[in-house]
Amino acid sequence: MYAYIARRIVFGLLTVIGVSIVIFVVMRVLPGDPLLAVLGPEGLQKLSDADRAKYMADLGLSDPLIVQYLRWMRDVASGTFGTSFFRSESVADMIVRRGPLTAEIALFSVVLSWIVGIPVALISVLRPNSFGDTIARFLSILFLAVPGFWVGMLIILAMLFWFGYRPPLTNIPFWEDPWSNLQIVLPPAIVLGLGQAAYIARMARSSLLEVIREDYVRTARAKGLSGRLVVGLHALPNAMLPVITLSGILMGFVLAGSVPVERAFATPGLGYAMFIAVNERDIFVVQNLVFLYASVFVVLNILIDLTTAWLDPRIRLQ
Amino acid sequence: MSDATVQQVQDEAVVHHSLLRRMGGGLRTFVRRSPMSAFWGVIAALIIVMAIIAPVLAPYPPLKSDFRAMTKAPTERHWFGTDQIGRDTLSRVIYGSRASLTVAVSAVVLGTTLGAFWGLASGYFGGRFDLVSQRIMEFLQSFPDLILAMAIAMALGAGFGTVIVAIAITRIPFGGRVIRSVVLSLKERAFVEAARGLGASHTRMMLRHILPQCIAPYLVLATTHLGVAIIIEASLGFLGVGIPPPQPTWGNMLADSLNAGLIPPWWLVLFPGGAITLTVLAFNLLGDGIRDALDPRLRGTA
Repeated sequence: MYAYIARRIVFGLLTVIGVSIVIFVVMRVLPGDPLLAVLGPEGLQKLSDADRAKYMADLGLSDPLIVQYLRWMRDVASGTFGTSFFRSESVADMIVRRGPLTAEIALFSVVLSWIVGIPVALISVLRPNSFGDTIARFLSILFLAVPGFWVGMLIILAMLFWFGYRPPLTNIPFWEDPWSNLQIVLPPAIVLGLGQAAYIARMARSSLLEVIREDYVRTARAKGLSGRLVVGLHALPNAMLPVITLSGILMGFVLAGSVPVERAFATPGLGYAMFIAVNERDIFVVQNLVFLYASVFVVLNILIDLTTAWLDPRIRLQ
Repeated sequence: MSDATVQQVQDEAVVHHSLLRRMGGGLRTFVRRSPMSAFWGVIAALIIVMAIIAPVLAPYPPLKSDFRAMTKAPTERHWFGTDQIGRDTLSRVIYGSRASLTVAVSAVVLGTTLGAFWGLASGYFGGRFDLVSQRIMEFLQSFPDLILAMAIAMALGAGFGTVIVAIAITRIPFGGRVIRSVVLSLKERAFVEAARGLGASHTRMMLRHILPQCIAPYLVLATTHLGVAIIIEASLGFLGVGIPPPQPTWGNMLADSLNAGLIPPWWLVLFPGGAITLTVLAFNLLGDGIRDALDPRLRGTA
């Protein structure tokens, strides 16, 4: 097990480094002037060559790429992540201030996806082709196709129309005012959670259908257990491994989806900060936030891998 | 007499005709076996037709402002209402299908094809090239797809081509991985060994013997990724890094609705989003049907 953990962590580190190189290439090496990104096309035309050189030097953009890359890695390692072009706030402060909201949204949405997805799959498997199964399958197909941010906009409109209600817009930590905090966090979490639940239900259903064909399930049936007990006690735990793995992959869906969904709800989280940074063309902030999102995604998937290896010895012995 | 023997006795001139008939027959089987997928296939086809003949269908030019009818709810003259500068929402939704479909199809074709050829080469040659390729694909897959597409679209500057490139890059690893695993299993098969024994070159082996076997998984992959591509395109538009206004896309129409006052008017939200959902639904279900028809082994997988 320790060898497996060590191997996964080394691979994870390699992946994070690789990810940072990909981001750096996207931000600096692809055609596209970094100053165009900052100043816009009109600003760039008015710029004299001397001003241009000065700007580039101030921002550290005229150094060799490898120096820029190493400097960025030093900022990341020291935990400051550099500062924004337009605000004095460092990216690290921004993450500390806004990150918890997005993390809460992600956490709640994952919990919700399991609470909704697993029972739906159980209904489908216990009563195949029943009315409930048909509805469940239809809804999961529908939710795979609906853009989350649009559902968010519809929810806002519906709440306003029928209840005249609008969630608070300020960033309130959970421990100061749990109720206001939940009002901000829950709507985006519900939208993202239902989107994931569709995938979870689909995967749990096909995984369960596979497991109930196994010999030990037939044995349990033969010794007289009811269908419900067989599925709940014997089949479900063994069908969960692929679902756990999928849940890790779906973290990408949550992290990516949080950006448009937070914009739809005007949630003051990291996703909204990313939206603003991309529109202001604040390349340092975007670079660091993209790196953060990808690193979180990598780390979560390592944790998931370790969990499945811990649950299933066959995986770690490979 | 089976289709294969029929085809054998046909001479060159009739081959084309028989191919058409074979396709017709295949279509009939498809409709009979999965009427649901066929139904959604028709919807998908209608959406494609709508995009092509948009100028004929749209009641108004998509960019024409009518200052006597600004932010008007749906009426007989404007079925889907008008936006804050009096443009007809129905016409804009119809024209929006053009951007959405062009971007999604080009991005998927570009990205999946690039990935497929990369996967073909890396699976076929193996060794160090394969190892490095695998790592690069892994790095690309470590990004949540929309996040990577956003960063690329921002770095390249908003525009039609850049959105296609941004989405295409996020599709490369999927094509690469699937085709590579197909190639790995094909490489061991007898017909490949036979070709090698006859002295075929690497290029000939890859293109003449292995590539044709990859077409079915490639088609399945491409159709299943169309829906994802449409949603990414809409999200980019919604986040302001997609195809820039005034050209209407479903994503930037939704973004625009947020500027139409404190509370976005419901018709500006409902119709573009509904168009996205219907299109993605149609392509997803058609893709499921194509997957079941081309590769029954994959039936029921996610």
